[in-house]
Amino acid sequence: MTTPAIQLIDVSYRYPRSKNTVIRGINLTVEPGEFLAIMGENGAGKSTLCRILNGIIPHSIGGQLKGKVKIAGLNTREANIAQLSTKVGIVLDDPETQLFTTSVRSEVAFGPENLNVDPEEIYQRIQWSLDVVRLTGYEDRMPSALSGGQKQRLAIAAALAMKPEILILDEATSQVDPLGVVEVLSVVKELNEKYGMTIVMTTDQSEEIAKLADRVIVLDKGRLIAEGTPRQVFADAELFSHHMIRAPQVSQLGVQLKEAGYPLPVFPITIEEAARGIVEILSDKSSHNSLGDNIVVTPLSSFRPNEPPIIQVDNLNYIYQPHNVHAVMNVSFSVPRGEFMAIIGQNGSGKTTVLKNLLGLLRPTSGRVTVAGLNTSRAAVADMARHVGFVLQNPDQQLFAETVEEEIAFGPRNLGLSENEVRERVEEVLSIVDLQELRNEFPPALSKGERAKVVIASALALDPQIIVLDEPTTGQDYKGCHQIMQIARALNQTGHTVVFVTHHMALVAEYARRVIVMRGGQILLDGSTEEIFSQIEIVRQAHIIPPQITELGQYLPESLGLPRTPLSVDQMARAIITRLNGKINS
Amino acid sequence: MSGSLVQYFPGQTFFHRLDPRAKLVFLIFVSVAIFAIQNLYLSFFILVVMVFLWWRANLPISIVWGFLKALLPVFIFLFIVQAILYPGETILIYPLIPRFVPLIGGIGRITLQGILFAVLLMFRLLAMVILLPLVSMTTPVHLLALGLVRIGLPYRFAYTTTAALNMVPILQGEIGVIVDAQKLRAMRTFEKGKFWEKLRSYPALVTPLVIGAMRRAQSMAVAMDSRAFGAMKTRTYIEDINLKWFDWVFIAVTTILSIGVIVLAAML
Repeated sequence: MTTPAIQLIDVSYRYPRSKNTVIRGINLTVEPGEFLAIMGENGAGKSTLCRILNGIIPHSIGGQLKGKVKIAGLNTREANIAQLSTKVGIVLDDPETQLFTTSVRSEVAFGPENLNVDPEEIYQRIQWSLDVVRLTGYEDRMPSALSGGQKQRLAIAAALAMKPEILILDEATSQVDPLGVVEVLSVVKELNEKYGMTIVMTTDQSEEIAKLADRVIVLDKGRLIAEGTPRQVFADAELFSHHMIRAPQVSQLGVQLKEAGYPLPVFPITIEEAARGIVEILSDKSSHNSLGDNIVVTPLSSFRPNEPPIIQVDNLNYIYQPHNVHAVMNVSFSVPRGEFMAIIGQNGSGKTTVLKNLLGLLRPTSGRVTVAGLNTSRAAVADMARHVGFVLQNPDQQLFAETVEEEIAFGPRNLGLSENEVRERVEEVLSIVDLQELRNEFPPALSKGERAKVVIASALALDPQIIVLDEPTTGQDYKGCHQIMQIARALNQTGHTVVFVTHHMALVAEYARRVIVMRGGQILLDGSTEEIFSQIEIVRQAHIIPPQITELGQYLPESLGLPRTPLSVDQMARAIITRLNGKINS
Repeated sequence: MSGSLVQYFPGQTFFHRLDPRAKLVFLIFVSVAIFAIQNLYLSFFILVVMVFLWWRANLPISIVWGFLKALLPVFIFLFIVQAILYPGETILIYPLIPRFVPLIGGIGRITLQGILFAVLLMFRLLAMVILLPLVSMTTPVHLLALGLVRIGLPYRFAYTTTAALNMVPILQGEIGVIVDAQKLRAMRTFEKGKFWEKLRSYPALVTPLVIGAMRRAQSMAVAMDSRAFGAMKTRTYIEDINLKWFDWVFIAVTTILSIGVIVLAAML
């Protein structure tokens, strides 16, 4: 019998100086070569569990660890960090804090150097691990100059150089763009399949997990609440609705069809399976009359070209100095009042640069930007802020006050409003974002989702007509993403113009009415959401992966008469159910 | 983003190739010289040497302009104060208030010596602010750490110090974002505010900056510990540093020149 790679027996844990038990009685065995995915909401204990697995808890971070943790036969409490580091490698979410040297070579060497490995041996390991992550030839590059996907692959190489048997990836893909995610996951897949490495990965990339993982465990408030193959876990509608575990869209579709009384023959976790199942149940009753005409596909409210533009961008160019980076080239577009628009594209495609030019955080190198009637190359940012509520990416850099209330009042006070008016505005936005109960809390101490809401509320307190959100959903879990987008939608319904940037294509498809696709500083496509995602080949050129449900629509044979570019699971499910109901009736 | 004063700026110049220890010696001797020397011509000489080395090290000259711009208000302030208050002999502009008035008599008189003293202060300040990035921008952090280790410091200490140095550009970027975030909340001070108002608003930057730095430091500690940092008393190094002949020449020249200039200044 082989020694399990990981063995947890009744493990509980409490951080130092904390009363909360964040891990509660977990039992888990992972066999060598297994690919385990850990899912759960933010705050469920996933990262803590990872730190227990690599021995950082209890060696570097104290606290109270109960139960038994055995890694490759070593009891983590008895083994030292040096021993453990050769058993488990870890890759964290933030590339900036886990890469700390000035060249790719020295980054990879850092670990083995600490273990007193002979330099010659280290050079061999550098060569090997850079080869595995496909960064050979980058030895002299500075880590800070790499792309997000490259940085995370370098972090993997740095972990591999310690020759571990187990590789842990803790939200390692949460801060990279879609192309980066593909790069990182393909490396992880190869490590697991070709080198037989045990992989433990926390992520909400369920579509990928469905293809890669042998087993999924689900954590909730520190407890292990579900365990099984991806198919078993994603078929559990309860997990999805109660614990907000984001299942792949095709699985969500499977659940909806099942609940409507039309279960697919095999519960789908991949596009191919879903397509096969749908074809089967639709042709099953071998109906000859085409019902394609009867299908009512809810028409998408397309964008509103009739409204006067509230944002007008003409031939915008922006060049970053001193390195002369031409980040935005001849970009022109106009946004009518009341629009709900997404800007998508790879990192470095110029999205954020365009946003920052909308209100003077950056001033156009050439071209003209008019927002709410003001020329942004002259207006002060503080003046623009009355018209445009701009929410930057990282909430933590936007929280300055001691309570939530004070935080929200910060903006209105700067406008010189009377104390009564300030109070009124605070109350109003607190109710919009539903944070009344937390009004007296210290903002930085709130959860990630709540912090994002506070920042949005603070922007709203200036009563802007336009809301601009720069990657509001990065690092948020499924629930957080949707709460933020629901707020945006509610604002849009009360007449606000909303512009947002995100890498979550499912959110773009579900919420945006119009999409601009950027590539290399230029606009590649501009149109209604449906138009954009129907041109899948062009969208892919910008390295954008359309939502899975949309891909399913395109994958299915056209003869089925289902929507070709479904934008949400609901839309697709309704279409299929209508189709099946029609069949039964006829 | 550029203008980070400590971030490594890759290059193959003579200054880049110097052993970190030689550069540390240079750093210490030149600092002492700058502090010790009160002579206008000698201070100017040091500044010229600094700028010359900066140029030879292929570092962007725009950064020096950046320093000048940032220090300009300080310079003007010093200039005025020195020019007016310095008790000089050669009077250029006669006082507004006649000399015989008690206490404040004579104030407002601008002397040549006052102006020269202000200029001297500027030379020294400028030389000082160029000196540190001249070393830090030409030396990869891990080699700087290794230099400290070879001098005899424990490696944990050496690496923690240099890791802190690494944080500087990150924190600089962070301050920029936080200032932006405050502007976005209709805070006018940073755009249109007066100098004193700006000064008063800086504490509001501190909360997010400190919390951000703490979060960063924590996750950096986890990342370093996970890679066995400090797990053993000693460690190996894939890149070793060796003092070559030109390092010794450089150390000798630096030492002799610094001491020479200090002695010369003392004699004048």
